[in-house]
Amino acid sequence: MNKPEIDWEKLAAIVEKHKGKKWGLIPLLQEVQENFGYIPPESVEHIAEAMHMFPSQVQGVINFYAGFSLEPKGKFVIRVCRGTACHVRGSRSIIRLMKKELNVDEGETTPDYRFTLETAACLGACALAPTMMVNKTYFGKLSPPKVTTTLSEFSKTKTEEKV
Amino acid sequence: METIALTMDGKKISCPSGISILEAADQHGIKIPHLCYHPDLKPFGACRMCLVEEEKTGRLMAACVTPVAPDMVIQTESPRVVTHRRNIARLMIAEHPESCIVCSKGNRCRLRQVAAQLGVGETNLYHLPNFKPLEQANPFIIRDLSKCILCGKCIRADHELVVVGAIDYNLRGFHSRPATVHELGLERSNCTFCGTCVSMCPTGALSTKNSSYVGSPDRESNTICGFCGVGCTLAVGSSNERVTEVNPAHLSESVNGATLCVRGHFAHDFLNSDNRLISPLIRKDADQNEEQWAPVAWEKALDLVAQRLMEIKSENGPQSIAFLGSSKCTNEENYLFQKIARVVIGTNNVDNGGYTSGQFLFNVFDVKTDGGCRINPLSDMEKAEAIFVLGADPNHSVPVISYYLKKAALQGTPIVVVDPRKTELVKVASFWLRPKLQTDLELINALAALLHEKQSYDPVYIDNYTEGFSLFRYSLSSLDLDRACGVTGIDRQCLAEIVDLINGKKIAFVVGHGILQQKYGMHTLGAIFNVSLLTGSLAADGGGIYVLARENNQIGAMDMGTVPHLLPGRQALNDDRVRKQWEKNWNVKLSPDPGLNMVRMIEAAEQGNLKAMYIMGENPLRCLPQPERVQKALAKLDFLVVQDILNSETAQMADVVLAAAAFSEKHGSFTNLEGRIQSFHPAVVPPGNAKSDWEILDLLIAKMNQTKGYETLEKIRMEIRKLVPAYAQLDGQRQGWITQISQKAVFNNQTADGLITFYPLVTTEAHSVDSDYPFSAIVGSLRYHLGSGTRTNASERIQGFDLCGQIEISPEDGAKLEMVDGDSVKVISPFGAVQRTITLKKEISPGEVFVPIAVNSNDAMNLIELTDLADPNSPGWKTVRVKLEKV
Repeated sequence: MNKPEIDWEKLAAIVEKHKGKKWGLIPLLQEVQENFGYIPPESVEHIAEAMHMFPSQVQGVINFYAGFSLEPKGKFVIRVCRGTACHVRGSRSIIRLMKKELNVDEGETTPDYRFTLETAACLGACALAPTMMVNKTYFGKLSPPKVTTTLSEFSKTKTEEKV
Repeated sequence: METIALTMDGKKISCPSGISILEAADQHGIKIPHLCYHPDLKPFGACRMCLVEEEKTGRLMAACVTPVAPDMVIQTESPRVVTHRRNIARLMIAEHPESCIVCSKGNRCRLRQVAAQLGVGETNLYHLPNFKPLEQANPFIIRDLSKCILCGKCIRADHELVVVGAIDYNLRGFHSRPATVHELGLERSNCTFCGTCVSMCPTGALSTKNSSYVGSPDRESNTICGFCGVGCTLAVGSSNERVTEVNPAHLSESVNGATLCVRGHFAHDFLNSDNRLISPLIRKDADQNEEQWAPVAWEKALDLVAQRLMEIKSENGPQSIAFLGSSKCTNEENYLFQKIARVVIGTNNVDNGGYTSGQFLFNVFDVKTDGGCRINPLSDMEKAEAIFVLGADPNHSVPVISYYLKKAALQGTPIVVVDPRKTELVKVASFWLRPKLQTDLELINALAALLHEKQSYDPVYIDNYTEGFSLFRYSLSSLDLDRACGVTGIDRQCLAEIVDLINGKKIAFVVGHGILQQKYGMHTLGAIFNVSLLTGSLAADGGGIYVLARENNQIGAMDMGTVPHLLPGRQALNDDRVRKQWEKNWNVKLSPDPGLNMVRMIEAAEQGNLKAMYIMGENPLRCLPQPERVQKALAKLDFLVVQDILNSETAQMADVVLAAAAFSEKHGSFTNLEGRIQSFHPAVVPPGNAKSDWEILDLLIAKMNQTKGYETLEKIRMEIRKLVPAYAQLDGQRQGWITQISQKAVFNNQTADGLITFYPLVTTEAHSVDSDYPFSAIVGSLRYHLGSGTRTNASERIQGFDLCGQIEISPEDGAKLEMVDGDSVKVISPFGAVQRTITLKKEISPGEVFVPIAVNSNDAMNLIELTDLADPNSPGWKTVRVKLEKV
C-alpha cells in the first residue's frame, strides 16, 4: 500500500464549508484530519487563504496540537498508555512488544500505512490498566498474548475498517 | 482621556487610563527590564522579564500586558520581583549557547544587558542549550535559532508591521521555534528580507550576514535612505569610516518607524563597493599610456571642465550643452545644477532621471490644483475609507508603502487593486480589477460615469470647491459604458459593486509606474483626479493621492527645477510673469523655450547637435532603452563629464569623471513622495578624495563665474528658502514639509478662493494588434533592485542572491508554447531581444509577459524603443509588443 491518495475535491469541499468563519480553523483542521488521517502539507496554503490567515500561522496551529499531523498516519492509530497506573502494571513491556511486532518506533507508521504506533500520557481508563486505543476503541487489561491477538485481528481485516 | 492616579515605587504618579504599567513607568522615568516588549508591537507578555508586584494583592504581573488601574500600588524592584526576574534570566541563559564572545550581537544583546543588570553571571543550573542548525543559505540574514528566546518579536513584526506572514511559532514546549511554512529556508519562503526582524531581535538569533566579520559598529548616526522615494530614516552603524550596518532609526514621526525593506536594510553594502570612485579622473589618449585613466587633483579636473564647457559654449552656443541632473542627489545639489545650466551656461537643457518615471505627468495635478496636492502624508492613509491602488506593485517598488496598505486592509479598509498582474496586494484586497493593458483610462472614466449615474458623488464638495461640473457631467452622461466595459474587459456589474462600496467614502489613491509609464498615463491621472473630486476626497482627511516615486529625491529634483520645462518651485518656464521674476532673481536672461528632456538629449547627441553633456548621478547607459544607441550617441559628444559615486557604464565613457560622495557621506536634504523635506548629516567621510556633489558644483560655479561660490550649504538653502516659497521649511531641521501655497479653496479654506476644474474626459482609440508580436511584455521592478540597478548591483548581498530575472508567463501560454518552468526563452521585440529562463505564473494573464528589470545589466531595456511621447513629454515604456521563442 502506498501513501494514500488525496481526494482534493473532498478537501476543497471541507475547506469551503468552513471558509471565512471566525474561529473556524480548528474545526476545519479536525475535519480534514478525520477524513484523511492527516493534514496534507500541500493543503496548508489553500486552507490559509480560505481562512484569511498566513500559511505559517496555520502550520503553527497544526504543529501545536498532537491531534493534528502533517504526515499520513496508518489506517489504525494505536495509542499505548504510559500513565502511572499503566506503567506500574507493565505498559513498558507492552510498548516494547508493539515495537517488535510492528517493527516501528514510537511515532512511526508501518510502510504499508496500516499501523501507527503512538504513546499517550494517560488515556483516562486507569482501572483497565494497562490500556491502549486503536483508533477510537479501548483495549484494557492488556497482556502480551492479548496484544498479539489484537494486532493480528487488525492485520487480517484487509478490506473494511472494523473500528 | 481619563487620567488615573496610582503609586509606583512609592511615588504618586498619574497617567492616562488604558496604557500598560510598563508604558506608565516609562513615562515617569522608571526603567523596567523587558525583552519581548516593543512600542510598535501589540503587547505579548512572552518573556516575563517585566514582572512587577502589586503591593495590595501581592500579585506578580507582567507590566507590558497589564493595564494601569486606579489606586494600584506597584513595586517594580521589590526583592521578590528581582528574585523572579533573576530566575527567569537564569533559565534563559541555561538554555542559551555559551557563544557570547563570538556572537555578532556582542554588547548589544538585550539578554546579556538584562542579565548584567540583574547580576546574573553563573546560572548554577544544568546547562542545556537547545541547538538548532544554523541557517545562512541566503545572503541577507543568518538565523541561529539556538539563541532564540521565543520573545516573538520577529513573528509579531512580520505579522503586524510588514504583514508578510513568512514565519510563526512552530511546535511546542522546548522544541518551539519560529519557522516558515514547511520549515523551509527563508529564501524558499515568502520572506521579503525586509530585515525588520533582524533589527528587533534582542539576541543574536537573527543577524545580518556579512562577507567578513565586522563586529559591533563604533558609532551610529541617523540619515535618510538613498534608494526609493519613501524616504525612510536609517540608523547607519559604522566602523573605521565604513558603513557596516543599517537599521531603521525608529524616530518619532518617521515614515518607516521600525521597518525597512531589503534594499534599505541590506543593499547599502554598495557604499563599500570596489567600484566606488575615489578620485577625479581624466581620460588620457590611449596610445600615450597603458592606463586609460589618470587620477588628478580636483583643481585640475575642475579647471578642465570649466574651460571646456566655456569653450564649447562660445563655439557652438549654449544650446549645444545639456545637463542631466539626478533624482538621487539632494535638493541643494539639484538647485545648483540647474542654476549652472540656466545661469552660467544659459540653457534649459536640464533634466533628471525622474524623466523615466514619468515625472512630466505630475503637471496634471500641479496645474489643476495650483500645486496643492503635493503634500500627502502617509500617516493620513489610515483615515482613508477606501483605497485604490492603480498600476502599482508597492510590495516590490516601494515596500514600506505596502506595509501601510496591508495594515489598512487588516483594519478593514477596503482596497481596490487595478492591475493586469495579480500582485501580492491582491491577497488583502476587496476587489481586483484586471483591465486589459493600456485601458486603465477607460476603466476609471467608466467608474466616474457610474458614480454620476448612481448619484454617488459629493454634491456639496463639488459645489463648494469645483467649477465646470455641469459640462463635465454632460460628458459623463454621454459616455458609452457598454463600450468601456468591452474595451477594458471589466464586467459592468463588478463596477457597480465598486461604486456601491465607495459610495460616500473618502478615497485615497496610490498610483504607480503602471500608470505613469504608460501611453495614456497623463489622461489616466486626469481621470483619477476627477474621481477624487467626484467623491469629495481631494484634500479631505484620508483622501491623499500618493504617486509613487521610484527614486529618493525624484520629487525634490523636480521641485528644484532640474527639468526642462520648470523653474525651481515647479514654476512654469513659459509663464512670462514667472520667468521675469526669475530673471530678476538671478540677474540673467532666460529663454522661454523648454530645453531637451533626457531622451531628446540623446537624440540631439545622435544628430550631432549636442556637443557636451554634464551628467550628475545618472547612468543613462543602463537606465535608458536601446543602450547601444545611447552609447553611440554619447560617443559622438565632444566632451562628456560624469559626476558619480560609482564607476558606472556611463562614467567609463566620460572625458572627465568627478568622484562624488554618497548620501551617507554628505549633508543635504531629500523630499520624499509625501512632500516631506528631510535633512541629514554624514555618517562617514567620503572614500578617498571624493567630494559632496554640492561642493563640486559650487567649486565649478566659482571657476566658471570667476567669483566666490556659496561655500556653505546653508547659503544655498537660504537662497532656496528665499526664492522658492514652497521650500520655506528647508532649514536643516530633521524634517519639514513642502509649504502649502495653493490658491485653491479646497486646500486653504480661509484665504484662498480658487475653484478646481475637472480634467476633460478623454477616450482612446482601440489599438490594433500586431500579429507578428502576439504578446505584450510588461517591464517592472523586483524588490531587490532599485530602478535600473546601478547601485543595487554593486551590493555584494544583492549579487549573492543570484537573481536571474525569470520571465513570467501564464500557464495557459506555457501550455500553448509547450514550455515549462526553467526553459530558456528569447523575448523578441522589434527593437531587441533578451534571453532568460521562464517561470509559469497564474498571476499573469494569457497574452502577457512580465520581464523584470535591473538584472543582467538591465538588458530588459533592449526590448524598448528609445522614444519620447510627444504629448506628454514622457516615456511610454511600461509595455512593448513581443514574441517568444524557445531556445
